[in-house]
Amino acid sequence: MSALGGAAAGGEGINPTGTVVGIVILLVSIAATYALGFSIIPLIGIIIGGALIGFGVHFVPVGGAPAAMGQAPGIATGVAMLAAGAGLAGLFGGAWAYEATGDFAVAIAGGAVGGGLMMAITCMMVNATYVFAMGIPAASGKVDKDPITGDTFPAYKSQGTEGHGLPFISFFGGVIGGLIAGLGGTLIYIELLEIYHVGLPAIMQADAAAIEPLAISMAGILAIGFFLVNAVLAAYNITGTIEGPHDPKFKRVPRAVIGCAVASAFCGFISMLIVLNTGM
Amino acid sequence: MTVKMEASEGGMPHNTLMIYGIVVAVVGTYLTYLNVVTGIAVFSFFGGIAAIAALWWGSDTIKHLCSYGLGTGVPSAGMVAFGSGAIAMIAGTKFGLASPIVTLILAAILGAVIGYIANSIINMNIPVMVTSLMEMAVVGAMTMLGFAAMCTGTFMFSGLVVGGMTLSMEPSAGAAGGAQTFLVTVLPEFAGSLIGGAALAVIFFLGAMALQHPFNACLGPNESQDRTLMLAIEVGFLSMFVVAVMSYAFLDLVSATVGVAISLIGWFYSYKQYIALSKRDAYDWLDAKPIREVGGDQ
Repeated sequence: MSALGGAAAGGEGINPTGTVVGIVILLVSIAATYALGFSIIPLIGIIIGGALIGFGVHFVPVGGAPAAMGQAPGIATGVAMLAAGAGLAGLFGGAWAYEATGDFAVAIAGGAVGGGLMMAITCMMVNATYVFAMGIPAASGKVDKDPITGDTFPAYKSQGTEGHGLPFISFFGGVIGGLIAGLGGTLIYIELLEIYHVGLPAIMQADAAAIEPLAISMAGILAIGFFLVNAVLAAYNITGTIEGPHDPKFKRVPRAVIGCAVASAFCGFISMLIVLNTGM
Repeated sequence: MTVKMEASEGGMPHNTLMIYGIVVAVVGTYLTYLNVVTGIAVFSFFGGIAAIAALWWGSDTIKHLCSYGLGTGVPSAGMVAFGSGAIAMIAGTKFGLASPIVTLILAAILGAVIGYIANSIINMNIPVMVTSLMEMAVVGAMTMLGFAAMCTGTFMFSGLVVGGMTLSMEPSAGAAGGAQTFLVTVLPEFAGSLIGGAALAVIFFLGAMALQHPFNACLGPNESQDRTLMLAIEVGFLSMFVVAVMSYAFLDLVSATVGVAISLIGWFYSYKQYIALSKRDAYDWLDAKPIREVGGDQ
């Protein structure tokens, strides 16, 4: 009875071969989209949105199971769950703002505020639980001094732990992460909606107003799919826990940005096949 | 968090399991086409069986992938499976009768690209990463396609996006004799459909929960393959039951009731089996009775 394989070797640094192949996949996706006669502007938006999600997820303080036991700082759940929560809250906020105003900038801002708000509430309630229910002070294990407030941590850190609670820098990182991830998710949703808004009436020979609910639902479901793919890729890059922007693991962020951009480009290309006229 | 996830070795080889999973998933999805051939929708439940076969195979794939210690928890694998599967499934249904096959191929390609990204760009360096994420994407797509076919009775794009027909009556040009005539046109209604009403999002998370739960619940030093897979079937039937209830909105009363009956019978059987297997693997167990309420002043 043993683990089937060894430990994950999530090394530091960028793998040059993989990155070059990835960029080739990205360019081929854009070229294939252009060759099939679609506009490449929405795909560029999707790629930017995916990269923003990958970037934003790294700010979110994720503690996982150790945090639930007060042995590591951060919010006590996995990266994918937390990112999905923040991103979907942003997505709903942005989708509602787009429906109500039809304005691109307002919708993007609405998505960012939705994601940031969700993370701010989560971080506040997590800290309330840590401090008032579990009785533990906030102390980071990775840095001695909070970069923003200047609070010192070592005197408050329990022995044998990697720190605990949610220091201000982690709270700050969570809100920034929610803002960026919510913005990226909303950007993907709006670009997908643009594609289906134009594409679906054309292939189904239907009235644009009648097909509106279909375009919205389809863009929404696919935006959730895009979001989860990007969030999980970012989670794989983090491998476990991260405290926020001051954590040494934050230096891995370029890999996730490249990876998420490539994944979004390819997924975006597949999602455009839906409005390709196959004659069926 | 570097928790070592222990998984058992032995049991049915993974490749055999994968072949059974793919064959039953594809054949089951195609069997829902009997609805079109016979004109009655009672064969829809085969979609649920197809989805359970995919989940059964996917639970074993998750076991292989997560035993490497991803550090992100088992549920993340279920999420990436359905995230990529949803994209492949919606794109795949466009291809008419070939939809299940095209969905499978599209999902495999998408999963391979995501696996390559995770392995080489993100630098995970896990040997089974590409094949596992490829399988996960296929599992996600086939589960969603199976449940969608069960819910609506068809696996084709037109059936998934058109909820019903509404008649539109417009007064036409006055006919001779002054009689009022109407121009009646049939308009498809999109908001009441599986995708248009976003019911697919419910199927998305029903499947994702059923996929990520079994290994997450059974992992540990005492994990055994048949128990994990029986739990996968049990949760699969539970998700199938919810899909069967949803299908009352899309199918006739008899067909939806057949789905509900089959999923309930399957769930009861697999739940009993799972409890029996859990007792077999347990060191000891105590059949705790509920606390008796003693009435009166005692």
